[in-house]
Amino acid sequence: MSCNTSVIRVQASSVEQTQRVPVHLMPCEIEHNGTARVSQYLTATTKDCKHEKTVSFRGRGLRGQEISCPQGYTGLVLKEINKLGSDQEDRTVRVSSVFDKLTYWNLETPPNSDDTVVMAMDWPELAEAVSLFFSFQSSHNVCYAVS
Amino acid sequence: STDSVIDTQKHDCDPAFVRLRNPCTDAASLYMLSSGDVELFEVKAFEEDFHSWFVGQTVQRDGRLLFVTPMDPLYLILPCLIKSGIEGKFQPVDQVVMDEEFPACSRLLSCSRSLASLHHVAEEKEVGTLKFHRYSQEKTMNWLKKKVERTVITLKKRNICVGQGVKSTTYVRVKPQSDYQEEDYLRYAHGLISEYISEDLSKALLRHLELPELTSPKETEPPSKKRKLSDKPVEAGEDYTKFNSADFVRKPSKKMTAAQKSLAKVDKTGMKPMSSFFSPKVKAEK
Amino acid sequence: MELGPFETDNAVNCRLTSQIPDVCQTEDCCLGIDEAGRGPVLGPMVYGICFCPISKKDKLKELKVADSKTLTETERENLFEKLDGAKSYIGWALQILSPNTISTSMLQRTKYNLNSLSHDTAIGLVQYALDRGVQLKEVFVDTVGPADRYEDKLSKLFPGIKVTVRPKADSLFPIVSAASICAKVARDCAVKGWNFAEDLGEVDTNYGSGYPNDPKTKAWLLKYLDPVFGYPQFVRFSWSTAQTLMDSKGVTVHW
Repeated sequence: MSCNTSVIRVQASSVEQTQRVPVHLMPCEIEHNGTARVSQYLTATTKDCKHEKTVSFRGRGLRGQEISCPQGYTGLVLKEINKLGSDQEDRTVRVSSVFDKLTYWNLETPPNSDDTVVMAMDWPELAEAVSLFFSFQSSHNVCYAVS
Repeated sequence: STDSVIDTQKHDCDPAFVRLRNPCTDAASLYMLSSGDVELFEVKAFEEDFHSWFVGQTVQRDGRLLFVTPMDPLYLILPCLIKSGIEGKFQPVDQVVMDEEFPACSRLLSCSRSLASLHHVAEEKEVGTLKFHRYSQEKTMNWLKKKVERTVITLKKRNICVGQGVKSTTYVRVKPQSDYQEEDYLRYAHGLISEYISEDLSKALLRHLELPELTSPKETEPPSKKRKLSDKPVEAGEDYTKFNSADFVRKPSKKMTAAQKSLAKVDKTGMKPMSSFFSPKVKAEK
Repeated sequence: MELGPFETDNAVNCRLTSQIPDVCQTEDCCLGIDEAGRGPVLGPMVYGICFCPISKKDKLKELKVADSKTLTETERENLFEKLDGAKSYIGWALQILSPNTISTSMLQRTKYNLNSLSHDTAIGLVQYALDRGVQLKEVFVDTVGPADRYEDKLSKLFPGIKVTVRPKADSLFPIVSAASICAKVARDCAVKGWNFAEDLGEVDTNYGSGYPNDPKTKAWLLKYLDPVFGYPQFVRFSWSTAQTLMDSKGVTVHW
């Protein structure tokens, strides 16, 4: 199993200079990787109500909210650096953008604390409790990342 | 901070995703080693069907969110010790902590607290400047018990629903239910920790915690919220199936009843081990 | 026509109303209902009601209201001014269904089709008149779907009111013609002065009638197709014309 030996390096030197960008988790699969006029269409038409944000995408009503990354964590967006002509097993990803909060959108359903992504934000604390050393305080600046 | 996975001061050695043997499944999972292998992190993906990202002025089809959280390397060292401990001899750890299939395994000993914490799970013997170790089930059980206790504290603090049969992969919080028994917490914590140890150890730990084995582990009753989620029309197109790393998610087969579909969907929600993340992409992507 | 609140936020529905003439609260009244902009792929659909005392039906005829489709835009605007000017005995109310509401309703998980949307809007407007004390005795409706069933539905909902649902009611009953003029003027006004909430810079307003078969509309739909977002909220995403274009030229989205 050769893939078990491969390593994916994270080129992290640029994190501090990396731009913070707005990040949206959409409740649909958009079959595309590339540019999108997010600010012109989505941001420009988003309405901020008391307990939620509303917008529509492709004619569907979305309701969402902004949530913060778990305390002590930074969101990283990782992009693979394609090395043309290299058939090396090892791969490299770089940090293409950074975020501290994200907006997630539900299809029609108002956002609430039982939404799976909200609950997922409990994971780091739980994981640390389960798997960390006894004497270890969580002072990390660990990433979670969008691939 | 010194514990950061990404140490911006050291440009020469980057953190890296590596594959290691998952102590629970015995199969490959994705982990991360920080700069200089000082720290180990586990990588789990939060994913739901039909999600994508907008990042700045771009769209990313893959809607997964990875959580990279610090992990005690002892969990991964333990299977090596157990394997070697069958013979009951004291051995040098650097001869024990290795895995032909997963070369990165030996790097675990570089983690800052690996060597210092081996005594939690092994007896130590010093001969001159050399140290030798032998796996100890008794020590391991005590160590795991402490882990369980610590987890229970966090579960209570975070008000996490620990209803019967709930597993970490589908854990769901229901609003204040303060009438959980201590046993519910213990079982839940045991369930969480069982994802880091072998089935044998998990059973032994259950006995050590003096929790009787449940004869028929009850299925998780998917809470209404989850059910609602699965009401969404499922239109898994051909392309979608092809795109995903094949073994990553259990896809509902074409002909499933609505009920089966919703169950399958609920199961998939939550944290997944990253066994196949970053695996060679399926050709169809191009 | 002043669309006031709708211009501030054209993503949601909006109701515009005249004053209720005093006489409508004391005398038996008739009320006409018609819609404008049901077919187009662009812009809002507008529902209009117009009401006056039954005794003033002849006076209404003198205003020479006719089916709005047979009139020019200017004629309609002038007639609306006349109707609006007859404040002493004619009242009107409009419900503007934003294209965004139409899209999100029709594409909702629990489908809400255009007929139900139309019926509910019409019912809402009749109820509005009743709530404001208009002494309704006769209601005339231009048909939406099968006339008989719709007539039954409305008669049951509003006992004591004689409901007449007819195809082409706007050319048969002046009070429906009046409602049709109000609706059509509002619809034209909304389309003409559409404020794009999207940040698209200068938008070409040469979108024709908005009907899917109008070449100008077609050209506009091609020009303003965004591969990811599809269209601005001005477009009804639930129309097959829009969907076909997005399917063929846009990025596929799975829900």
